[in-house]
Amino acid sequence: MKYQDYYQILGVSRDAGPEEIKKAFRRLARKYHPDVSKEADAEARMQEVNEAYTVLSDPEKRAAYDRLGQGWHAGEEFRPPPDWGGEFHFGSHGFSPDEATEFSDFFSQLFGGLGGFGRQPRGFRSRGADHRAQVLLDIEDAFTGATRQLSLQQPQADAQGRVTLATRTLNVKIPPGVREGQIIRLAGQGEPGTGGPAGDLLLEVRFRPHARLRAEGRNLHMALPVAPWEAALGAVVPVQLPAGTLKVRIPEGSQSGRQLRVRGKGIPGSPAGDLLLDIQVVLPRADTPKARQLYETMARELAFDPRDAGRA
Amino acid sequence: MRDEDVLIGSLLEETWMTLEQLAAACAVEPDWLRHHLDEGLFPHTESVSGVWRFSAAALTRARRMRRIERDFEAVPELAALVADLLEELDAARARLRRAGLD
Repeated sequence: MKYQDYYQILGVSRDAGPEEIKKAFRRLARKYHPDVSKEADAEARMQEVNEAYTVLSDPEKRAAYDRLGQGWHAGEEFRPPPDWGGEFHFGSHGFSPDEATEFSDFFSQLFGGLGGFGRQPRGFRSRGADHRAQVLLDIEDAFTGATRQLSLQQPQADAQGRVTLATRTLNVKIPPGVREGQIIRLAGQGEPGTGGPAGDLLLEVRFRPHARLRAEGRNLHMALPVAPWEAALGAVVPVQLPAGTLKVRIPEGSQSGRQLRVRGKGIPGSPAGDLLLDIQVVLPRADTPKARQLYETMARELAFDPRDAGRA
Repeated sequence: MRDEDVLIGSLLEETWMTLEQLAAACAVEPDWLRHHLDEGLFPHTESVSGVWRFSAAALTRARRMRRIERDFEAVPELAALVADLLEELDAARARLRRAGLD
């Protein structure tokens, strides 16, 4: 178990007053807010900051922490003194027991884990807390469904009530038709209850970026490159999708930027999403005599001014 | 249960969450949620014959509001305003992503 230097984490001196500690915490809470932070490890840093503030903002916990002395350095291997524990009773300070279980081993050793810290009396039969995790999928998985193996770090209490992080591996079947942001609930896979049922595990679906497809709800967006004659004359072109190849009719006289909607060919479900194709006319290069000749013929024989505001 | 077993989940939004389920999922007291609902701080949330039902988006909103209130000792209306702005930011970011501009 590594020693945590809570003063260093908040960037305050050991004799900082409560106001100074609160100010430092708020500054860091703003810096590492996961929705706006530009820092790569914002979530992990915020966890440390929450933990440090939980201890240093509470006079009892802070006094207990200070009793460990100043001889320790952050990251140093740490064992609590043999006479530690039993004499403190710590209350909850804003963080729920569920959140406190995400704090470090160091914290749970010092201030009690699931059995001690902040646990609101819920009676003998209480339901376990829900846990959350993200599951990263490919858009293809939304068509076919998939089975994903997830490794979760979950706090577990031993017989003495001490909390350690255990890695738990779950195989989860993802049903077809999932959308980004959707939540898959695995009933009973959260924290065990006390006499009551276990909590749920809630998995939030995220898609990996795809080379050609972008999902918006169950609709799929895709660029569709077409030749000038396909756009001008109309054509039926093949479109590769995760579910197979689809034939799509390009209407005569299509221009770049026109969007074609193919109903029901997005992510399956009830209702299924649509496939939205953005037409992009791609010009052949004039790099052979034949190609040059064809362009020159068009230039000579077609009365076409692309800058004419009145053109169709 | 063995770790090797394959678990089959149910999709929220097609099932919806109750007030108690939402409270458990974002580690808040049901009373906190009720108070915020009464104050109109959860737009786009509906109650059908007196029973509230919540989508996955409400879960994100509840977590955000609670966090802002706790970290900055913010009044609920300010936390709701921040949540509104973050939701607009999410929508704008999603549009950029779809346009391939992020």
